[in-house]
Amino acid sequence: MTNNFTMLAQNSDFDYVRQACLAAMSIHATNKDVSICLITNNSVPTKYKPLFDHIVEIPWGDHAADEDWKISNRWKIYHAIPYNETVVIDTDMLILEDINSWFDFLKNYDLFYTSNVYTYRGELVDDNYYRKAFKKYSLPNLYSGFHWFKKSDLAHEFYTWLEMITNNWQQFYKAAGNGKKFALRPSMDVSAAVACKIMDIEHLITNSKVKNPTFTHMKPKVQNWDVNFAYRWQDRVGVYFDSNLSLKIGNHQQSGIFHYTEKDFLNNNLMKKYEKCLGI
Amino acid sequence: MTKGVLLFASNNKSIDYVKQAIFLAKRIRKYMDLPTSIVTDTDIESMYPNDVDVFDYVIYSNDMNKNSTNKRYADGDFSDKTLKFNNKNRASAYDLTPYDSTIVMDTDYIISNDLLNNCFIQQKDLLLYKDATHIGIHKIVPEFEKVSDTSVDFYWATVFFFRKTEENKIFFNLISHIEENYIHYRNMYQFKTSVYRNDFAFSIAVHIMNGYQKGNFVGSLPGTKFYATDKDVAIDIKDDEIKILVQKNKRLGEYTGVNLKGSNCHIMNKFSLERIIDQ
Repeated sequence: MTNNFTMLAQNSDFDYVRQACLAAMSIHATNKDVSICLITNNSVPTKYKPLFDHIVEIPWGDHAADEDWKISNRWKIYHAIPYNETVVIDTDMLILEDINSWFDFLKNYDLFYTSNVYTYRGELVDDNYYRKAFKKYSLPNLYSGFHWFKKSDLAHEFYTWLEMITNNWQQFYKAAGNGKKFALRPSMDVSAAVACKIMDIEHLITNSKVKNPTFTHMKPKVQNWDVNFAYRWQDRVGVYFDSNLSLKIGNHQQSGIFHYTEKDFLNNNLMKKYEKCLGI
Repeated sequence: MTKGVLLFASNNKSIDYVKQAIFLAKRIRKYMDLPTSIVTDTDIESMYPNDVDVFDYVIYSNDMNKNSTNKRYADGDFSDKTLKFNNKNRASAYDLTPYDSTIVMDTDYIISNDLLNNCFIQQKDLLLYKDATHIGIHKIVPEFEKVSDTSVDFYWATVFFFRKTEENKIFFNLISHIEENYIHYRNMYQFKTSVYRNDFAFSIAVHIMNGYQKGNFVGSLPGTKFYATDKDVAIDIKDDEIKILVQKNKRLGEYTGVNLKGSNCHIMNKFSLERIIDQ
């Protein structure tokens, strides 16, 4: 049984397609029997094309043409994929181990968002910095960096709401914030939370009692550091990636899915290590 | 299967750890009904002829003050002394213990109940305290949470339980290795103090045994580990009741009286502990 992964990548001043290629290499390095779909309007370098089983154009034009942080096409994922079911991951993620068993769990759901993420030390993130609005306005604590859906009535309705929220985010966020503006720009996490709240389906699409599926979230302010002056986590802890593609951050071995968040984490050395491992 | 408590005691010029060990061994017998053995470099038969019988075995070691470091010992807010700190020997507990199942305690741990007897019925072969509660309750000490801000979880080596297993042999060998290469591990795990701390060596060893991740190699000792710092002053111990003056936060020389009854407690102010023993 093939398990499907989907990413959406749109280049701006940064090469997100390259990030997606690295993520795809990390999937192939650790997981067998997978199919990967990349949704993009950008060209994919020839040598990386075989990483993807499907390269799909963003449908219905580019709604994020004028955006630096291009998220206005994300709602189209549901309609663009060639699969009946898929995991959707952000491009700035590395899959560090075989997660095929997670799919056995996910298949119980029409739509699933992870609501627990962890620090590099394996501690549950209690995000009082980036997610103040989630707590203040009782929004479901969803992380869109890793989610799953089956083509189903529930997922279709959810993505339809996501489309409306994305296209009218100021109004929806204001309503969710009891009339107060709490965001300067849209975010997929907030939009997913608002859609979830409108549909009142938190109990159907997440499960805070399970450890997996999840990911390690490397935003610096959620790492439970007492001294929190760092703007970049890479300024505080070392990155040790060996030739077997085993990753240590500081003193801690990483596993599962690693959401590195900082763009310069991706460098030529890292690309080459994966390329060498996969014979690219 | 034999079981008992093992203590380590190496005196420096101001602190009589053997005297503390005798005091503790009597309490272990009273509250836990367990035999206590001691590892020491002091001639106990000569120096404490009336008390030597409190020990099941007296194990003499010549290695106790090898590579000892200096440490500042406080006695409340206004007094301190820099003294030799002979603590590099906990790793030898595995080889030296006369018991199949052993609880190792620092001599400044005051036993007032039998809670730790539950160690012997636990499935885990190694038990430590990861968390501890200051008797002032509200005090949170970051250095007792993590080895350093970006590094690994802190475990207390003040009291621990182990069975003689092959896995634990590796664990104690690893502690020896960390002790011998302490500067390297200090750099790797980003802690500032150069004074060797068993707590740090144990914490690092647990982390490594867990595969450099959070894991379940070690179990938790039963009950709560209470402690008083060396800025607090113990003033009386009567049966299972300990009276301690707890330093007030940011108010130099001011204390709050705390009465602890029926709970074990780690008294870090060794001077005040000795004053009580001498009473």
